[in-house]
Formats: sequence, structure tokens, C-alpha cells
Amino acid sequence: MSEYAHPEVLVDTDWVKKNLGKPGIRLVEIDVDTKGYDAGHIPGAVGFNWETELQDQVNRDIISKENFEQLLSGAGISPDDTVVLYGDNNNWFAAYGFWLFKMYGHQDVRLMDGGRIKWLNEDDKELTIDKPAPTPSTYKVTSTDMDLRAHIPLVMEASKSSSFNLVDVRSPDEYTGKIIAPPGMNETAQRGGHIPSAKSIPWSLAVKEDATFKSADALAKLYFEQKGVDKNKDSIAYCRIGERSSHTWFVMKYLLGMPNVKNYDGSWTEYGNLVGAPIEKQA
Amino acid sequence: MDHRARVYNDVFEMLPSVENPSPLVRINRLCPSPEFTLYAKLEWMNPFGSVKDRAAWAMLCDLESRGELSDGRGLVEPTSGNTGISLAAMASARGHALRAVVPSGIPQEKKVLLKILGAELDVVSDELCPSPGMGDGSINLAKTHAKAQPKRFVMPNQYENELNVRAHLETTGPELWRQTEGQITHLFLSLGTCGTVTGAGRFLREKRPDIKIIAVQPSEGHDVPGLRNVQQLDSCELFDRSLIDEIIEIDYELAYARVLDLCREEGLLAGPSCGLIYEGARRVIENERRGFGVMIFPDSVFKYVSSLVKHIPELAVDGPA
Repeated sequence: MSEYAHPEVLVDTDWVKKNLGKPGIRLVEIDVDTKGYDAGHIPGAVGFNWETELQDQVNRDIISKENFEQLLSGAGISPDDTVVLYGDNNNWFAAYGFWLFKMYGHQDVRLMDGGRIKWLNEDDKELTIDKPAPTPSTYKVTSTDMDLRAHIPLVMEASKSSSFNLVDVRSPDEYTGKIIAPPGMNETAQRGGHIPSAKSIPWSLAVKEDATFKSADALAKLYFEQKGVDKNKDSIAYCRIGERSSHTWFVMKYLLGMPNVKNYDGSWTEYGNLVGAPIEKQA
Repeated sequence: MDHRARVYNDVFEMLPSVENPSPLVRINRLCPSPEFTLYAKLEWMNPFGSVKDRAAWAMLCDLESRGELSDGRGLVEPTSGNTGISLAAMASARGHALRAVVPSGIPQEKKVLLKILGAELDVVSDELCPSPGMGDGSINLAKTHAKAQPKRFVMPNQYENELNVRAHLETTGPELWRQTEGQITHLFLSLGTCGTVTGAGRFLREKRPDIKIIAVQPSEGHDVPGLRNVQQLDSCELFDRSLIDEIIEIDYELAYARVLDLCREEGLLAGPSCGLIYEGARRVIENERRGFGVMIFPDSVFKYVSSLVKHIPELAVDGPA
């Protein structure tokens, strides 16, 4: 059985338990449902709110470098810390956080495989409502990697060109245009369907029932053999607001080791609202 | 207590039992075959308004007897409404706190009722009948509360608690057998936690091995709180497939249409899950023509007024408030 291309970016729940409270190891919970952290979290973990802390509050954009530095300083995180991210919904927003940390050049960031659900359902793992009071640090971003992000001009080019893998990770009903967004979601679009030439590979196909990632062999079979992803091409993943696609971006880049993978965080809530953009929709 | 005079020392004495069964009422105008005797068991006549009084009482008594609710410890429970309402009323009257974790899609009436009864409420994005397992949602948020604050909360967990089955094995099943004088040939019900079917079904199957137990489930994407569609049943810990003869899937919009029929033709103030079950029973009776069936009607229409207006827009009332 082969290993993940970058096994160092994934830790399991037992590793986290063993390393709780160790200097230089920092836990951050990022949930879709921001009530989760307050109800109970891993001892010592800080909670980041994806809506108010990871997004610019005026423009539709990721937080600025300065706001990222401020957020991490407030959480007492230093550039040389090992940061372990975890969250609900199979680590959707934890993966989004991972993508953000990597764009702002944080060296050692990892995901806890299985997320908060796996931890919650293991009898030997504790939860607490006590929030840590970290001593603030002075976090400085020294390098950035904005190549991890796709903007609309590149997405348009990828849609027309055969030299990209364009991967739609939403549910089949969102891909076909039967629905525009999952029920109850606030962020939506004017039109349903998908970007022309995008392959449908729902994010959920990459995980097992216990919420952990499938093996490297199973993922390679799924993406390369069953879904026809070309492992040597550049790739762009998208969903509705960029969090589920972060999950697939993580799989393609770090678990499968594909060379150039970008997350299109504008995703369907940008593309499906664009005037004149071509859309494929199942009749 | 004297069930004949119906004078009680407290509300708990009114809870259903073989001596004090919930009523069976015969369906007359809406029964499609004169050779088929069809009854509805009106679970909304239980003191807290639904079939869930049975499981809630069994789970609460168990926790009390094991000392799990001492020192001010309260309960936390995921619920699509009815169990929470029963538990909230019972817990409040016995001096315990309840935190109910509910899916956002349940009717507003149920959410407000929970608050009227003194429950603290968490509303989460989830299926209308929460599924056990690794997904997020009501069950895992309730588990989080119980795990993070074990001194403050204990979780009865109706979705996995065997007492949910035992309550029906000891009350619903024997009541049905006695009330029908052993004539019952068909049992019609819907599946949510599966406590009713597994408990009552086990009892009746033992008494009468050839009884037909028929589950009526809503189609996918449904809006009938507390019920699962067929694809979701396997995630249910208390589900025993071997007890069930047939599962009928019904377009969930029909549940609402049949509510009007039951209200207007039979004078039964039945909720949407009753409408669904009736539609399933009607189809079976059309086909089989003869038999003696009972439908378990879980709750009444009062908690679903807003749902009825949503699905049958002509029910909306215009004019000054």
C-alpha cells in the first residue's frame, strides 16, 4: 500500500491526544457551525470563526496579511509553531484554514484526520468548554504563496482549455443544476449548473465513514482511474463558497501530490452570479 | 389512581399503560373496504401530546433511579420536537433542566413549545430526523454538550437507548393486543427512531407471528419532522428490519393532503405523519380488502399549523391580525 504524498500534513486523533499541551504545538478549531467550539472543544484549542475572522468584513475576500498576523498574534501562535487544525463537517473549514495558512506562508500546519466528530466519538478523548488565554505573540508573515488561489480569469481559461483539471466538488444535484445550494444555505447564486468542462467529483467521495480520508491507493483510483483526472495537469477545485473545495484541494495537492493545484474560493457564488458566463446545466 | 373516574394526583398518572391505554378510534368514512376494520391509535391523547411520552418517561425514570440527575445535573437531548416536548414537560415538573438540540427545519410551533416548557434550545442545520453516526448535527452537538460538561448534562439519547424500545414492548404492544382482543392482523406506522416499531412489533410478532407490520415512509427531501426516508433507515440503531413486512414510500406532499381528509371526514385532528400512515394503510387495504388493522397516529395537527399553510397555501388566512 502506498503512502500519501505528504503524510506529514496529517495527524490522527491519538497523536493529538499524546501531544496536548506540548510547547510549540497549537490546536485551532474551525467549524462550519460556529456554535460547535463553544459547546465543547479539545483542551487547549483556540477557535477561529470562518465568517468573522477568516473573511474580510468589507470586501468579499480572504483576510489581509495584516489581519492574518493580528489573528495569529492574538491566538499566541508563532511562525515556527506546529499548528493542527480540525473542525466539523469533515474538516471543511479546517481545510479552508489550512489553505489560508499556506497562502500566508506558515510552514508547519497540519489537519487532524477525522475532525471533531472523530474526536467526539472516541471514549478516551476529552472535551472542554474552557477557553485558553494565550499570551499574545508577534506573528509576522515573511512569505506568501498566492499561487494556491484561482481567480475568475484563470477559471475561464481552464474551462476552455484542455490543459487543466477543473473539479466541481459539490453534490450531484448542485452540479446538474437541480438545486443551486444545499437547503438552508444563505449564500446562493442566480443560476444553477456547473462550469463547462468541470468534472463532478463530490468531496465526500474522498472520506471514509469514520470521517477520515481514504487511503492513498483508494484516492488515486478514484481521481485518476474512475474520474479521469490527469495527474500531470494543473488543477482547480471549486464548490459554492470555497470550503468544500479546500478539502479536495488538500486531497489533490497533499495526499495525491499533484503538482499545481489551486482552490477557486469564489466558486459557484461568484461564477453562478456572473453576467454572460457560460453554464452547463442538465436538461 | 382511578382511570375510570379520571381523577389523578399528578399528570404522570395519566401516562399510557395497559390499564390506561391511549384510545383506539375506528376509521369509518375513509376506510376503503367494508371488510377491513381500521382503527387509529391516538397517541396525541397522551398527557404531553405524542407517542414520545412513552420513551421519554422510560428514559427519565431510568436516569432518576440510577441517580444520574442528582446534584443539579440536567438533560441534553437531540430531538425533532416530540421527545423534547415530552422530556421538557416531565423534566421541568420534576425539577430538572433540559437543553434540547433541534434541527432548524422543524416547525416554529415545536421550537416555541420547547421554550414555553422551560427548555434551553440549540437550533442546528440537520436532517428533520437526526441520524446517528459520524455526521455533524443535532446528535453530535448534544453529545458534545454531554462530553464537555458531564457534571451539567446527561444525554438519554433516544436514538440509541434500548429503553425507547422497551417502553413500547411494555406498553404500546400489550395495549394494542388487549384493545383489539387479539384480532389485529395489520400494524401501520412510520419510522423515526424506530422505538415504536421495534418494541410494539416485537410484542405483537410474538403473539401473532403472521401479523403484517407495514412501515410508511416519506419520499426523499421530505418535510415531515421525526421521520426518515427509506435510504436513511440503516443509520438507525434501533431499527430491526426483520420485524417489518413491507416499507411503503409515499410522496410526502400527500401526508399534508391526507391531514385535511382525516380532519374533515373523520374529525381526527391528526398531524402530517398520521396523514402519511393513513395513505399507506389506504393503499394496502385497497389491495387486500380484508383484515383488522391499527395505525399508530403519533401526534396531532396543532404543532404543524405553519407546515400545513406552507404545503397547502389556500389555508393561509388573510385579514387584520
